[in-house]
Amino acid sequence: MMLTRRGLLRLGGALGAACLAGCGDRQRWHALDIAGTLPPLQFQMTRARDQRLVSERDYRGQIVALYFGYTFCPDLCPTTLANLASVLQGMGNEAQRVAVLFVTVDPERDTLPVLASYVRDFAPEIDGLRGTPDQLTALARRYRVAFSVTPRTNDRPYEVDHSSAIYVFDGARSARLLVASLSTSAPDLEGTRSDLARLAHEQAPSGILAWLRDAV
Amino acid sequence: MSERALPRSPLPTGRVSRSALAYGAIGLAGFALFTVSQFRPALMPLWGPFEFSWWEYLAAALATYWYACGLASAKDRPSLWRQAGFFVGLLLIYGSLQTHFDYAAQHLFALNRAQQILVHDLGPFLLALSAPATTIATGTPGWVRACAGSRAARAVLDLLARPVVASLLFVGVFYFWLIPPIHFHAMLDARLYEVMNASMVLDGLLFWLMVLDPRPQPPARWSIATRAGMAFGVMTPQTLLGAVVTLAPRELYPSYTLCGRLFPIDAMTDQHLGGLVSWIPPLLITAAAVLILLWRVMRNSDTAHPDIQRSAR
Repeated sequence: MMLTRRGLLRLGGALGAACLAGCGDRQRWHALDIAGTLPPLQFQMTRARDQRLVSERDYRGQIVALYFGYTFCPDLCPTTLANLASVLQGMGNEAQRVAVLFVTVDPERDTLPVLASYVRDFAPEIDGLRGTPDQLTALARRYRVAFSVTPRTNDRPYEVDHSSAIYVFDGARSARLLVASLSTSAPDLEGTRSDLARLAHEQAPSGILAWLRDAV
Repeated sequence: MSERALPRSPLPTGRVSRSALAYGAIGLAGFALFTVSQFRPALMPLWGPFEFSWWEYLAAALATYWYACGLASAKDRPSLWRQAGFFVGLLLIYGSLQTHFDYAAQHLFALNRAQQILVHDLGPFLLALSAPATTIATGTPGWVRACAGSRAARAVLDLLARPVVASLLFVGVFYFWLIPPIHFHAMLDARLYEVMNASMVLDGLLFWLMVLDPRPQPPARWSIATRAGMAFGVMTPQTLLGAVVTLAPRELYPSYTLCGRLFPIDAMTDQHLGGLVSWIPPLLITAAAVLILLWRVMRNSDTAHPDIQRSAR
């Protein structure tokens, strides 16, 4: 009886390992895998660097890292952007396939020139985006982002709350990863770099499906 | 549902144009909300939907309209208290899903819990307490009643409206959406989020309409003792869940941290609060149901509301 039970345990272990190996040919991501939850990238905003109205179509085929913040942000945003910049630097030439979109949640104070000069200081791959209240609300709602701006009153400083994660989309506009560590004191720079590089190496979907997707 | 020979509405034909007008107004108002929500979301006032849902809007609007029609043509109207119970219950459900409270509930676990308890417990509890079946049935167009009375609808109801099944669903649906990976998905995926809300409302209605059915047993299918047993039976799992979430030593629901909280409070504080919200109010509501049933037994339940017929929900 004992032997049988042990045998069963072993069999179970072997089966479990086989399953893990089977599922494991899709090796794990360093960031949080959110494939299939959030909708594909879609937005319309004004790009700070050339003051043009841009949308997801302007970033077709690129890996997009979407991040919400504001230029007066005391700690979270500069930390995150500086970490992102060093991730991009570590990617070498592959960084050209990555676009970082920094969306301001405080368009009142973040005018286009302010925004453009702010992101330029971090890395050339970072684009500052500024939307009308409607454009910003639609984008934040689409990606379940919390943001609120509380203008200064006599007894309270100007306060802006916003999400801390980076939303990563693949070359086919699908939402793939949530990177949470870059605003913390223990940023996973190497993990983020390898995740972005892996996405950049993925075969872009081709054929009629990809065509349909782009047409929509 | 197939088209069938429809029983004629009891409403006089002069009302037809008025009801067409009402349906038109409901449709137009829905379209206006949809348009603003879709294209000018920043203009939407706080009482308007953060994310417009045709299902949630139409269910609330039609229930209101049909109940109002029922009130207008009923021979003996339900008491003002019961009318108030209906409208307040409906308003709680609609208001927690289709106003900007929904934005707050998406971004704070404690408020998400409050929202889910409003749509699963308090709202349906008040609706059921108002025993709206007769009034709604009077105001409902014939073809809807035919659908609700069809063999398929009856078969589904026969299956679900059993004490054990309804109690297991009542606890199970609430538990299911709190399984951490499922909660995470539901909070990110807007489609799943809508499924979650709809399942909570329907499940709450099923349970509370059964438990609080005001009729004595011959027309009602289950005795008051059985129904008091249902309410009593769900208290232990409710307590257990509340305790597990409140006392969990680590963060179970990270979506709120990742997408940002409504205001900067600590993740664990939020989770403790959310656990308490899932623990105490549902328990109080269930206890209130048990007390109401006991009270009905004590004042000889067969004199209660002779006007109420079999609830068709």
